[in-house]
Amino acid sequence: MAEMEVKSGGGHKGPGVKKSKKKSTRVDLTPMVDLGFLLITFFIFTTTMAQPTAMNLNMPKDTDKPDEVNKVKESGSLTLMLGKGNVVYYYFGNDPATMQTTNYKDVRKIILDKKKSTPVDDLFVIIKPDKDATYKNAVDMLDEMTINDIGRYAMVNPTSDEYNKIQQTEKAAGVQ
Amino acid sequence: MGRAKIKRGSTNVDMTAMCDVAFLLLTFFILATKFKPSEAVEIVTPGSVSNKHAPQKDAFTVSIDKADRVFINMTDEIKGDVFDEMMSERHMKVTPEDRKYFLEAGFIGVPLSQLLQFIRVPTDELKNTKFTGVPADSTNNELQAWIGAAVAAGQGKKLNFLIKGDDAAKYPAFSGVIEAFKKNDIYKYNLVTTVEDVPEGSELFKANLKAQQSETPPAK
Repeated sequence: MAEMEVKSGGGHKGPGVKKSKKKSTRVDLTPMVDLGFLLITFFIFTTTMAQPTAMNLNMPKDTDKPDEVNKVKESGSLTLMLGKGNVVYYYFGNDPATMQTTNYKDVRKIILDKKKSTPVDDLFVIIKPDKDATYKNAVDMLDEMTINDIGRYAMVNPTSDEYNKIQQTEKAAGVQ
Repeated sequence: MGRAKIKRGSTNVDMTAMCDVAFLLLTFFILATKFKPSEAVEIVTPGSVSNKHAPQKDAFTVSIDKADRVFINMTDEIKGDVFDEMMSERHMKVTPEDRKYFLEAGFIGVPLSQLLQFIRVPTDELKNTKFTGVPADSTNNELQAWIGAAVAAGQGKKLNFLIKGDDAAKYPAFSGVIEAFKKNDIYKYNLVTTVEDVPEGSELFKANLKAQQSETPPAK
């Protein structure tokens, strides 16, 4: 494409007459077009991809009536408490004394193990972020519910007993 | 019998026109792109596997920054109505000028008592201004009042409530925001997040895979 049309000057004019070579003014625009479309593609992609995503969160209504309260079977409940420094504490059933420690990577295995060993209708995960947990921790854990396809879960505040126990454990482990 | 001669045309195409079009489009896209305005409060949202787009229309966003301050953003469609509602509810006297400033202000980041001064601060000076955030504690829950005003003003409209929290925000702040929503009988929110890949091999990953396969049946 790169054409440099060089027209030969009008024949022989005899000796002593200089030939004036006329160069074409045409420029090859192909690379420029390429660049143009590349930039267009870039801008099209960046404009559509900037939209943020969102996850849905439905919270239950607060109720004082005992018959409206969800009942959780002890055998099917898993309580995850989110503490300081990205640490997760968990226990099965109703006894916080059996609390164990894990982290956000390994918690998936614990949830899945529980899910496998429990009938679907009994399984209930209780998420209890304490005062030192971050918003990211809470969202990560909610996300974990989606990832592991847990149908029934709730987010509640830990009881003061549980919070004290977490603090003791944190102190012992030296979590900052 | 001579064959008809086929003239060989040049394969050169004039690129000028194409170039013009390309750059016209380029100019259009550059001008039409809205770059994210530099925010006075920077919020890093956590990742989630959700791939649903955050609603942009009639959105009422409550942001929590890393220092647990609470801010309110509204889209322009509802902003005026919410302001009128809030001012009449709190019996605050405002001039049309105040209303104009409020509509131009990017977000609400101060208690009501300082609101009228706050909205007069130019956007580029906000970075150097100190603001306390909207009070959302139990003694003076203005966040709850704002949400109430939005619900009252958006009568008949389906408002989208978004919560946009920073990674490092503490959970009690988030819990306080949810409490304020609950007091207004709102139980559905969208948490603004950034996209994260679904971990391979997990339940959701398998479910997505299944859904994909049923959508595109193998060609026979």
